[in-house]
Amino acid sequence: MQEYKCPCCGGAIEFDSGSQKMKCPYCSTEFDMETLALYDAELHSDAADSMEWETAAGCAWQEGEADGLRTYVCNSCGGEIVGDENTAATACPFCGNPVVMTGQFSGALKPDLVIPFQLDKKAAKAALMRHLSGKRLLPKIFKDQNHIDEIKGVYVPFWLFDTDVDAQVRYRATRVRTWSDSRYDYTETQYYLVHRGGSIGFSNVPVDGSTKMADDLMESIEPYNIADAVDFQTAYLAGYMADKYDVDAEQSVDRANERVKRSTEEAFAATVQGYTTVQADSSNIRLRGGKAKYALYPVWILHTTWQGKNYIFAMNGQTGKFVGDLPVDKSAAAKWTMGLTAAAGAAAYGVAWLLHLIGIL
Amino acid sequence: MKKKISLLLLALLLCLCAAVPAFAAETDGFADQYYRVVDMADLLTDSEETALIQTLDEISLRQHVDVTVATTDDLAGYSVMEYADLLYEQCGFGYGNSRDGLLLLISTQDSDWYISTCGYGITAFTDAGIQYIGGQIRPELSDGNFAGAFATYASLCDRFISQAKSGEPYDNANLPRQPLSMIWIPIALVIGFVLAKIVVGVMKGQLKTVRYQAAADSYVKSGSMDITESRDMFLYHTVTRTEKPESDSSSGSSTHTSSSGTTHGGGGGKF
Repeated sequence: MQEYKCPCCGGAIEFDSGSQKMKCPYCSTEFDMETLALYDAELHSDAADSMEWETAAGCAWQEGEADGLRTYVCNSCGGEIVGDENTAATACPFCGNPVVMTGQFSGALKPDLVIPFQLDKKAAKAALMRHLSGKRLLPKIFKDQNHIDEIKGVYVPFWLFDTDVDAQVRYRATRVRTWSDSRYDYTETQYYLVHRGGSIGFSNVPVDGSTKMADDLMESIEPYNIADAVDFQTAYLAGYMADKYDVDAEQSVDRANERVKRSTEEAFAATVQGYTTVQADSSNIRLRGGKAKYALYPVWILHTTWQGKNYIFAMNGQTGKFVGDLPVDKSAAAKWTMGLTAAAGAAAYGVAWLLHLIGIL
Repeated sequence: MKKKISLLLLALLLCLCAAVPAFAAETDGFADQYYRVVDMADLLTDSEETALIQTLDEISLRQHVDVTVATTDDLAGYSVMEYADLLYEQCGFGYGNSRDGLLLLISTQDSDWYISTCGYGITAFTDAGIQYIGGQIRPELSDGNFAGAFATYASLCDRFISQAKSGEPYDNANLPRQPLSMIWIPIALVIGFVLAKIVVGVMKGQLKTVRYQAAADSYVKSGSMDITESRDMFLYHTVTRTEKPESDSSSGSSTHTSSSGTTHGGGGGKF
């Protein structure tokens, strides 16, 4: 025997001979038989997410290709960086401590793509000054004392994921209608089960492949425009440093999945229109033809120490987007809070008087 | 029975109130049998009483509406409304044939105040207006400052009568405005504090620029989205209804008829 559960409260539904409809004995909501059957079918159509990727990215170095590359290691943070033989790397771009050359570059994969630097050191300095200006709660002394000489252009390893997504998403939506007669105000809430299925494609979703670079810092300077990417040549490294990936594609894929899933759900939700509220109930995401690539993206990095704390800034070497958390001047924040409270309080009191005078309050 | 109590009351009044010798020309239209203050509960000192009588006389003569005050500590079994109406009639208060005027009765028996209106007083003092006056004098009554309460009452009466003569008595819609309540000072401060917190929060937000990207919208292949299944299934609906709030309270003056058949308006409350 087929038993249906009430979409409203979850109780078992019975046939009500009086109304000739299916009726929930617990919450007294009535349903058409057909609706219940479709609802039931909808609930049982759920499938598990499948997020499979082909994660073989990068390729092997050709004979002699990496000969001009040297590796350096930082004794302080353990960071391993790569530079060409002409780059006289002296300081670690991640922590500022001295680095030592450990010798000929070896191992690791050759990147598939590189976006060459398009903005120079001067642009990065200018961007820092812009970043520091107009921020009222930034301690003044932080701005004055800043030494921004230690500014380094680093190619950061990224894994790029391409995939097509098949998704089925179910939403619970309501439509609210209100009207009134002479005595009562009425509110009618209609409940809907909304189903959307289809496909969407993503290309080059980047995931930071280096543990030296904080993931949130790297995501903050996104997006990069992949149209400028070229096939990797060691010549692009001249004058810059490069980080070696130490998180492989396999480990990075979860982050890409999260973002792809979220974007898919949002894109599908945007097609559910005409409702008062929309809430995702369940989603089923399947990836097709997921592929990964290994790329180097240009990042200007600078860091400064202030009151014993290290502040790291990063600029997208392609678009110039500049980010970096800054300290808050607590006493300035308190002053602003008090001053604004007084000013806004006086304004609110004035508005109250005004409303009072015109007879609203 | 009723007659006996009326007589008793009259006897009491006669003891307490002396006839007023006054200038005939100025008091034309007033019965002038009793002073306009009948302080049976003895709430006022002699000097306060004299001053109040002067004030009320001046207003009454100028406005041609009898503005009077009475106090009692014993309602003698009457309701406060009946007592006030009766006292008004027995004392012969009121101007002209329609007995225009009003009486504020303070009963210390159960801490009642009541304003009985008559003739033009009914027009000038609407129900809402009477409650407004009550609201103004209540704090002073509660504090035992009866002289102050009566002075407030006298000046409000003067204002109400003048307003009524201008053609539009004070009523629900046009009661005299009270100054903005003090409660708005802390409310304004709280509003100010919340706004300040929001602004400072935004300023702090400017300092924080490093955050994860939750989604990957920038990497959607343009035009790649293809919705192939789209089903919107209606499940059920619920209807709730709420009764509409009552429309605005009534305006104007309600009236009743006293035992002697005179029409009075009025209203009162506790203090």
